[in-house]
Amino acid sequence: MKNWIKIEFPGTSVNVGFARAAIAHFAAQLDITLDELEDIKVAVSEAVSNCVVHGYREKSGNVVVEASYEGPRLEIIVEDFGHGIPDIATAQETGYTTLPEERMGLGLTFMGECMDELRLYSEVNVGTKVVMVKNIPERQLG
Amino acid sequence: MVRFSIDVIGQALVAALDGDLDLHTCPQLKDALERTLEGHPHVKHLVLDVKDLTFIDSSGLGVILGRYRAVQARGGKLFFVKANPHIQRVLRLSGMHRIAGFVDSTKEALERV
Ligand SMILES: Nc1ncnc2c1ncn2[C@@H]1O[C@H](COP(=O)(O)OP(=O)(O)O)[C@@H](O)[C@H]1O
Ligand SMILES: [Mg+2]
Repeated sequence: MKNWIKIEFPGTSVNVGFARAAIAHFAAQLDITLDELEDIKVAVSEAVSNCVVHGYREKSGNVVVEASYEGPRLEIIVEDFGHGIPDIATAQETGYTTLPEERMGLGLTFMGECMDELRLYSEVNVGTKVVMVKNIPERQLG
Repeated sequence: MVRFSIDVIGQALVAALDGDLDLHTCPQLKDALERTLEGHPHVKHLVLDVKDLTFIDSSGLGVILGRYRAVQARGGKLFFVKANPHIQRVLRLSGMHRIAGFVDSTKEALERV
């Protein structure tokens, strides 16, 4: 079976928890373990937080989160239309952050650890799109 | 939402956290911990009871690590009390298990400081 959702909201911190919970509820339609759900919550929380903190630093705009599954493949896309990332490879290094006073540079590392696939697309002053996939294996009952 | 209570017991700041700690909720905790550390210069150790902590991500970890640096400068230690497997996994991913102690009760943390 195939299913999908798409939500759009202002890129403000108060919506991070909403996005995390909404995507977890959608993912719960699959035969998913609590560990897998926690991984998804961490990944979504990190991705949406980045839109708010980095994408919309000193400006405002919307975040779009899409989730879909077909068979065991759950795909989550988080997109902003903000500052963009000049150097994606550097941004993905563990511990790299452009806000060292307050942040740890672990968000992209967490997304990579919690999901099976992670792809970043970004253009400066256009925005950033994170595509994440988690494979939810079919489980035998009993 | 996150709720917390903060006590000073001897040389330790003991904070019990309840709820989700993320980008939106972590400034409240950060301010409260900072104020307590500033108001109690003799406090050296940070004991975080995370039994009722339902979620944490790197924003929440950043607040904890920042306060750890403050107590570390005073020669203190960091303990997590009753971290469930999910919280432990995130703490491990961040390398926090290398700098913090994991214990089953506040009493045990206070005995080990
Ligand atoms: N949506 C985004 N828009 C602009 N820059 C981003 C975005 N996501 C990540 N970045 C850049 O990548 C860096 C690393 O991100 P991350 O690993 O989440 O660490 P942190 O959020 O702690 O800085 C950020 O500091 C920022 O420079
Ligand atoms: Mg981040």
